[in-house]
Amino acid sequence: MYLLRDALPGSPRGATNVNPTRAVRLLVCGSADRGDDGAALSAVAGLLAGLPPHLLSVMEVRRCEQLDLEDLLDLPDTTACVIADAVIGLPVGQIVTIPLSELPDRDAAALPIPRSSHVLPIGQLVAIAQVMRDRPLEGSFVGIGGRSFGFGRALGRPVRAALPAYRCAIEAALINAAATAEQRTL
Amino acid sequence: MHVTPEIDAAGDPRPSGPRPGIDHDFNVAYITRVEGEGSLRLRVRDGGVVEARLSIFEAPRYFEQLVIGRTPDEVIDIVSRICGICPVAYQMSAVHGFEDLFEIEVDPEIRALRRLLYCGEWIQSHALHIYLLHAPDFLGYPSAIAMAADHKPIVAQGLAIKKVGNQILSTLGGRAIHPISVRVGGFSKVPTAAALAPLREALDGAVDAAMETVRMVAGFEVPEYHREPNLVSLVHPTEYPYNHGRIVSSDGVDLPVDRWDDAFEEIQVEGTNALQARTHDGGVYLLGPAARLTLSPGTLHPLAAEALAETGLGDVIRTNIYWSIAARAIELLHACAEARDIIDGYHRPAEPRVKWTARPGRAAWATEAPRGLLFHRYELDDRGRIAGAQIVPPTSQNQAAIEADLAAFAPSVLDLPHEEATLRLEQLIRSYDPCISCATHFLDLRVERPT
Repeated sequence: MYLLRDALPGSPRGATNVNPTRAVRLLVCGSADRGDDGAALSAVAGLLAGLPPHLLSVMEVRRCEQLDLEDLLDLPDTTACVIADAVIGLPVGQIVTIPLSELPDRDAAALPIPRSSHVLPIGQLVAIAQVMRDRPLEGSFVGIGGRSFGFGRALGRPVRAALPAYRCAIEAALINAAATAEQRTL
Repeated sequence: MHVTPEIDAAGDPRPSGPRPGIDHDFNVAYITRVEGEGSLRLRVRDGGVVEARLSIFEAPRYFEQLVIGRTPDEVIDIVSRICGICPVAYQMSAVHGFEDLFEIEVDPEIRALRRLLYCGEWIQSHALHIYLLHAPDFLGYPSAIAMAADHKPIVAQGLAIKKVGNQILSTLGGRAIHPISVRVGGFSKVPTAAALAPLREALDGAVDAAMETVRMVAGFEVPEYHREPNLVSLVHPTEYPYNHGRIVSSDGVDLPVDRWDDAFEEIQVEGTNALQARTHDGGVYLLGPAARLTLSPGTLHPLAAEALAETGLGDVIRTNIYWSIAARAIELLHACAEARDIIDGYHRPAEPRVKWTARPGRAAWATEAPRGLLFHRYELDDRGRIAGAQIVPPTSQNQAAIEADLAAFAPSVLDLPHEEATLRLEQLIRSYDPCISCATHFLDLRVERPT
């Protein structure tokens, strides 16, 4: 079995040349070869070609198998961020959009939030990034509930069925993020 | 340590509830700042520990079955997925085992590049654990978030070091997590010297920052504790152990790197989804930075050896697991300094890998993951495909030592307020930098946060 590759650019972790002109960074998490973990990759791969040109022109897309603090720390001040990932803790196929600024509080309060297998929970990553940057992160987390994360598996049927709605949710989050970023630069 | 329900002198079970002021129960349903899902249960009756259990409830992952029928190069890609923090270790134990069976001699520069890749993994893993997972315990914070608010420069320093480790993995492995370049016989592609030049520059800063790290952690206040563990690690006569050496223990084991199972075995233990490991006679042993530093002090990079000597912690690192953070910092410095040396001496090999022919037989090898010895054994059939596999990660080997330390340490915290005592016990577990996901090779993650 060979690892699936996708057309999205990889995360330039460790690189120092960050494009400062993009108003929105889309972080696409997950692995294409681990069942429902590839939901965000599939959704974004089918989404990009249909996005309005003005939105595409202000977007930076990064594929990050596991979300890393560096992906948030090197965000330019005027850039908003959308994180897309499959999660557990939600009914399979259910979609949730959570403002990034709310994730740390949900984590701290142990409210039912999407759990993911990142080295640090996403709420902690966002919280540390906000502390290190001295400002809140603008943008949102768009998750889809998954069930099967087995290595070598394809997307499960419920997640495949929810992909159109998931694309819409990501697009809406991108439009909101772009609007937020535009307001900040005015 | 698992003890059956205690029996009083008359042979009757004692009341199950703790008696105030005499008995103590410590329960941590969800251990934080470790990788994976686990819990702690400790019961003390009449001042004695009757149960010390680190339960691993993360679901099994079945990787040993997933590789059945696969080719060696496929196995390398698959086993790297066991862990997002130490994928290189899984690749290295597998690739060396196959190369040993196929009698492949790799170019010395390939060997050096593999050490460089391992340096990158140690750098990112050790920096993550020291700064984001473990330091909050010593600086009095409940989390890295709270610590970052007051100690931003410290967190920034840790992140800067970790970033260099990620850079090394990206440059050599194609990506920072789950690298994809390691192949039987070498690499799919090797870098030019020019491609390594930015790493060389970054490593200058990382070496300085790692020295700062050693000084910082050496100043931490650490709980008093003493236990003489049986230590196990690879030992090599001329190099600090990553990929080569012999399996050596402080109580006299000295085995070829492919014969782990001559002295050790895995056992099933109730209440945990991870197999544990013991010596054949049931003995508990300790892996990881403290074991490596103690068994291989002579092969540390001179900068790391000097830093260790300056701390004066050489002896207590061996006997007080809380000082593992210092051992980890010394190894962080070693990895940064050795990575820099490797790049300085690098000459690109003519070919990225040598040709090979598979053969049936037993492929086995152990390497040193950041958390300790990682053993792989594969049986290959006549087609050169995997017919059987055994993967023994360091956390499942350390699990019994963690429980032994919990049992030994607990009596010393019984006079503390319950919350503080519980925190000390959690801190002890974090001293091992356990990677619970590795220990279970989990396949489906179905754990949900309690509402």
